[in-house]
Amino acid sequence: MKGKDLINIGIFSAIYFIILFAVAMLGFIPIFLPLLTVFVPIIGGIPFMLFLTRVKKFGMIWIMSVIMGILMLLTGMSWPPLVVSAVSGLIAELVYKSGNYRSASKAVLTNGVFSLWVAANYLPLFFAAEKYWSSRQNFGQDYIDTVTKLMPVWMCPVLFVVSFVCGIIGGFLGRALMKKHFEKACIA
Amino acid sequence: MTGLFTADVENRGLVLDPRTKLFVMITLVVFALGNTGSDIAAVKYATVVLCLLPVILLCTARQYKRAALSGLVYTLMKTVEMFCMPHMTGMILSLIGLCCLIFVRLMPGLIMGAYMLSSTTVSEFIAAMHRMHIPRQITIPMSVMFRFFPTVFEEFSSINTAMKMRDIRIGGKNSGKFIEYRLVPLMVCSVNIGSELSAAALTRGLGTKVRRTNICRIGFHVQDVIVLILSSALYVLWILGLTGVTG
Repeated sequence: MKGKDLINIGIFSAIYFIILFAVAMLGFIPIFLPLLTVFVPIIGGIPFMLFLTRVKKFGMIWIMSVIMGILMLLTGMSWPPLVVSAVSGLIAELVYKSGNYRSASKAVLTNGVFSLWVAANYLPLFFAAEKYWSSRQNFGQDYIDTVTKLMPVWMCPVLFVVSFVCGIIGGFLGRALMKKHFEKACIA
Repeated sequence: MTGLFTADVENRGLVLDPRTKLFVMITLVVFALGNTGSDIAAVKYATVVLCLLPVILLCTARQYKRAALSGLVYTLMKTVEMFCMPHMTGMILSLIGLCCLIFVRLMPGLIMGAYMLSSTTVSEFIAAMHRMHIPRQITIPMSVMFRFFPTVFEEFSSINTAMKMRDIRIGGKNSGKFIEYRLVPLMVCSVNIGSELSAAALTRGLGTKVRRTNICRIGFHVQDVIVLILSSALYVLWILGLTGVTG
């Protein structure tokens, strides 16, 4: 991997993170919080598909994924995203590598796998939930029931599936836009 | 929004080592977000103190407005959570309870993140990463990224203005094209700027294998020691609580 590849990773990570940041502003209204797993993979799929056309060497997707995890740590989203992004990034890398860094359908799948870390942002809320409620028994069963209903544990795998599916949708959207604009402008 | 990602070097008051900030961040994540040891009374109260630490840090960086706002919101949410939530029922509980639950946990980390990004220069950050022996495969993309943020914001606001003139906005005539007509030009110009940037960086020797030097001096000072002791105290309290020394 040369300096130019590393700089490319930096540029596309910046675009991806700014999209994430803009969408996360919606998440400040708590009802919209789970919707991040829908919007980020779909909109982020557009720059990511363009990034994939520049990936030619092993490790580029993985590094971008790890950087996203580090950024989540730096902005206060805890460590689970970093762990998940390190693993899902490697899988995404292997998926794209199996298509010799060229296959278009593998690229769509890669965006799906890559997007998994978005859902990992919610893991701390689920992890800590059990402990949180057990320490608040004196608030009454009514309270515990209400909150459990809003954040049930089965939501956790659902969020991962949602981010994967939306990643695939985002991949197709990115591909369509690439055909429409970037190939004409000779930058894809 | 640009101010969030670029440090104002002349006007930032007390300087902390980036590694200290990282340690405070991890401590906040463990205790405030992860709720570690919340069943131990001492840890519970110490966590509240620690959560207010980023607000004080923002004050030392002379960002009084941001500090006051975030401090106020956090205190309000925490008060509601501690005193009002046990008395609520039904629908109100689910709405306000969930807001508090998320805000009280996430806010301290987010405030700390805002402080960290707005008070650390890129070269300090890179120097700290280098001292922590993070490989250059990570540090180079990250330094490019931080250098690139202000540029992307600038380009985006220009594109936004142009598209507003064509009535491509939410609620406008062409709101369906809202995302496409912003992202596509942004990416085209980012790619062009990016290739210029990479040419410039390569002439400065970013691609070479030799050990890079950094003009920026970082190190632990008195203020770092104070902050580090404060945040380590939480771990000590937690371990003491686990072993049953304090209730």
